[in-house]
Amino acid sequence: MATLTMPVEEVKKVQEQEALITGAEAIAIACKLANVDVVTAYPIRPYDTVMQYMSQLVADGEMDCEFIVAESENSQFEIVKHASVCGARVFCGSSGIGWMYAMEVLTVTPALRVPMVCLVGNRALDDPGAFGVEHNDALAVRDLGWLLNWVDTAQEAFDTALISYRVAEDRRMFVPCAISCDGAFLTHSQALVKIPTAEQVKKFLPRYNRGDLLLHPDNLISVAPQANEDWVMEIRRQNYAVTEHACDVIREVYAEFEKTFGRKYGNPFFEEYMTDDAEVVLFGMGTLSTPVKVAIRKLREQGKKVGFVRLRWFRPFASAEIAKCLERFRAVGVIDRDLSLGAPDLSGVVATEVRSAMYANAKNRPPVLDFICGLGGREVTVPDVEKMTDIVFQAANGKSQPLTQWIGLRG
Amino acid sequence: MGKLFAVEIIYRGVFQKTLAKNITRGIVLAARDEGKFGLSFGRYGDSPERNGIPAKSFAIVADDELTLEAGMAQYEPKQVDLTVVLDDTLCKGAESWAWYGLQPVHHALKPGSTLVVVSLQDAPALLKTIHRREEPYKLGVLKGVTSFSGMWVYKDDHTDVRVLGAIAKALPEVVSLKAVEQFITEKLKNALKVTSAKTAYDRFKPMDVKPGEGNPEETFKFEFPGWTNMRQGVSIKGQPQGGPYRDPVSLEVGGFRPARNELFKKYSTRTERPVVNFATCTKCTLCWLNCPDASFDVTPDKTYDANLEACCGCGVCEAVCPVENCITMVNESQFTDNKSQWVAYREDKDAYLKWLEKTIKSAEPVEKRSYGFRYRGQYKEQAEEALEIAQRG
Amino acid sequence: MTTTFVEEKPTQNLEPFKGVKKVPYEEYFTSGHRTCEGCESAQIMRLMAKAAGPRTIVLGATGCMYVANTSYYSTVWGVPWMHTQLGAGGSSALGTAAALRVLMRKGVLKDEPINVIAFCGDGGGADMGLSAISATMTHPDYNLLILLYDNEEYGNTDIQISGTSPYGVNTSFSTPGKVKRIMHHRWKKNVAPLILAGHPTCKYVGTISTSYPLQAMNNIRKALSIGGPTFIHCLNPCPKGWDFDPYIAFELGELAVNTGIWPLYEVENGKLKLHGKTEQIANGRFKRLPVRDYLLKQGRFAHFTEEDIAFFQSKVDEMWEKWLVPGVIPLQKDLEG
Repeated sequence: MATLTMPVEEVKKVQEQEALITGAEAIAIACKLANVDVVTAYPIRPYDTVMQYMSQLVADGEMDCEFIVAESENSQFEIVKHASVCGARVFCGSSGIGWMYAMEVLTVTPALRVPMVCLVGNRALDDPGAFGVEHNDALAVRDLGWLLNWVDTAQEAFDTALISYRVAEDRRMFVPCAISCDGAFLTHSQALVKIPTAEQVKKFLPRYNRGDLLLHPDNLISVAPQANEDWVMEIRRQNYAVTEHACDVIREVYAEFEKTFGRKYGNPFFEEYMTDDAEVVLFGMGTLSTPVKVAIRKLREQGKKVGFVRLRWFRPFASAEIAKCLERFRAVGVIDRDLSLGAPDLSGVVATEVRSAMYANAKNRPPVLDFICGLGGREVTVPDVEKMTDIVFQAANGKSQPLTQWIGLRG
Repeated sequence: MGKLFAVEIIYRGVFQKTLAKNITRGIVLAARDEGKFGLSFGRYGDSPERNGIPAKSFAIVADDELTLEAGMAQYEPKQVDLTVVLDDTLCKGAESWAWYGLQPVHHALKPGSTLVVVSLQDAPALLKTIHRREEPYKLGVLKGVTSFSGMWVYKDDHTDVRVLGAIAKALPEVVSLKAVEQFITEKLKNALKVTSAKTAYDRFKPMDVKPGEGNPEETFKFEFPGWTNMRQGVSIKGQPQGGPYRDPVSLEVGGFRPARNELFKKYSTRTERPVVNFATCTKCTLCWLNCPDASFDVTPDKTYDANLEACCGCGVCEAVCPVENCITMVNESQFTDNKSQWVAYREDKDAYLKWLEKTIKSAEPVEKRSYGFRYRGQYKEQAEEALEIAQRG
Repeated sequence: MTTTFVEEKPTQNLEPFKGVKKVPYEEYFTSGHRTCEGCESAQIMRLMAKAAGPRTIVLGATGCMYVANTSYYSTVWGVPWMHTQLGAGGSSALGTAAALRVLMRKGVLKDEPINVIAFCGDGGGADMGLSAISATMTHPDYNLLILLYDNEEYGNTDIQISGTSPYGVNTSFSTPGKVKRIMHHRWKKNVAPLILAGHPTCKYVGTISTSYPLQAMNNIRKALSIGGPTFIHCLNPCPKGWDFDPYIAFELGELAVNTGIWPLYEVENGKLKLHGKTEQIANGRFKRLPVRDYLLKQGRFAHFTEEDIAFFQSKVDEMWEKWLVPGVIPLQKDLEG
């Protein structure tokens, strides 16, 4: 891949522009620069703002793609699935229950090795209908072979879109990738984003090459015949192999990204905030990082040494790195913007995964508390964070705490 | 730990689905009357079943429930104490949906155990097609017309109870004649069927088959690739295009022979095969055009040669052929190879036409069978006829 | 001169085969599939692939022609083929056509007409997949064909009722019982006219039967040549589920037409053309055979009484005597005003 990167001195020459845009708009522009071939849309809040921008880009002749408005999410994802198998770079997305309506397609794409990239504008699942953020929609595919990442700024949304294509379309991967943006906070609010030139993006993202898996009269293959018990286990093992090297590929791609665009992310899998001297940390995904960071600065003025770890990639789950990071602290408080009803200790999805990763990989295992918080789009407030931090400190000081607690809930 | 017995029924998919089920259920219910425990199941690997594709169902019987557990949760018992073949053309072996290759009918039969075949032929004739094996076994014929019906309408020609009678004779440890009679009387409530079962029991006299006796053909086996050398993305290479056909006499090259799926040949799917009179063929193309299995090779002289790798014996070609007796469906048990008829015809026309006439004639006795529902009342007529033949023995 | 934003792409413009002797030898759906003896659904797959030729991509929705035809790790397809989900016949064709179009426009793929065909059974086409097919039929700028092969049942799951199952039929979800002789009392969906009436820009809709192979192939070639999304509905006798001797599979296909149960027609750019016996029935030159000739040859109707047969006959008579367009459009002739 070295040939695709650019000498460091050229990085300076990159003609970046700055624009005040939403995370959804940032992803639309990333798709334009990535020269995406087929886009399918279907309306549902909050993800669909990305499609509104995209349709305008197409109408204005800024983007050359087949822009198809489907009649359901199921068709929306089927259409890009098949376009991708024919060699097209595709983009798609949904939110909440709409994502669930596409679940059948979401299930089959990893085994078909379809590198579709899509946006999940995280939204609470019905019933009741609700527009606010919750992570259970995207998390529903966590066992199916999808790559799942969470972003927390418009800039990160833009960069991660490009990174996601590069990772998903790597021949060692060829699996779908979902970029999760918290509803409203990221999809609907505008921020300043640095946008590189099309040339730079082209260098970073070579055309998707499906090679010997291309469905075309010049490549005579049959795809996904009915298999019986003599075959399915071997087929599953091939998908398992993808997850075995997923972390390495992601590391490589972030390194390439840094070389090409000069923007540094450090550890690709998670961001650490004020952890160097921290005694305890909070751990979470998505835009709740903002109130958490504000609260941490406030708490530090009171001399409370608390830090924050924000997970970027949930799939693959970088167990070793995460355990190595968290084993340093006296206690960990995971903030789950999701539910996993009936799960171990009635904790949320993220806390359960963190505990599992720590169990096998951590030299030292501090208490890992879970906070169910900010469901259905409810704000995670600074006082909420202060309360959670207080509880985590108590655990660190040996005062036993319930493993799972609800924060910001009326009694 | 008590004794565990497995009885295997090899049958024609769908055509004999109900019959096979009746038999395995009959075994279990009859054995129950003697205080035994059992279960009856079809081989999941055969599902969804297809008309004519070889399929298997099983009855597992044990002295007690604990012993029975050893026979549970498997697609197919590795060893069976008795095998029943409900259609004698299956003696050529069974290839199912699963990738087992072609299984000889006795591949799971314990040494010294009995193979029961429903047939109008005698045991030595059947041994021409039943594959050789190293261990001895017994081969017994249950004289009778092969019973075929379909998905919804069942032909009640007593084959089920007659098979139960034979089983009682060959493997009394599983079901005694008494148990079978009691089952029929109480559950089926049919005195005539009791007689049928009893007659079958009395007449059933298996012969010993010595090691090495039978058809020397090497059965098709399949080597499984592992996940590391299977193509990615659940993809496999497509079928290439076929090419012309060579005339063995004139060496002229012409016509067309399609490339075919090398991994699934229909040798064991067929109960009849078309024999073609190339002398009367008008080259109208209809057999070739209407064959759902693309099984006709186009010869250089533009006649149509039924390729027996591909033919599943549906008979549509005979049905659409406008020429009287140009294509005739003949029972598969008449044949021991799958060679090209057209090549034989080209090499010696007269010999071929004589062979053709002889083959069609000699097939007649077993032509009494039909391959499913054609009109109302048909099964009643056939059942009476079949019963009469069975009584004659 | 009005501007249109519909960008039509050329098709392969496939000429009809002039007679059975002109039908090419090449097979693109070859021997070695695992369908039943006398499977007419497999036969339409074969005819479809023959008619379309080598520069074709075929998408197959879940159904018999998926499960039985293409059992991993072997295939009988001589053109690129891919499975799609049960409800995705329409979407799979749309996605494939869209990719070809944009990649040719961008110079990634050689610019050439490639046939895109998605087939689906009655479960995939008339039930679950109808919504996606309907949407696909409204996209005027993608060249594709949806072929619905109709065996009037879910054939892979032990035979159950679908939206196109005939009245009264015995299936494993409608087995006659002690109290109810008729468990399935709905009439078969009239799918081709549904597509036709609902999608005015669709240039070709037709019905075919494997018992008329030359016509079936030529209609498929026409559908692939006319441009835009097109739809063909094929009736395929099923020896397993209909419960008949495979030997009479072809005859049953003819009987379906000659009894008037399965009219053969095509609608090309809005113009209706009846075919063969169907045309003769409509113009009184052929007297429809009684439906009993068809029903009594199938085990799935073995429970029918004279009364059931008479009802079935009366509904078919209605198609031909009362419908505004006999056998096709179920509007009553005697409209008010």
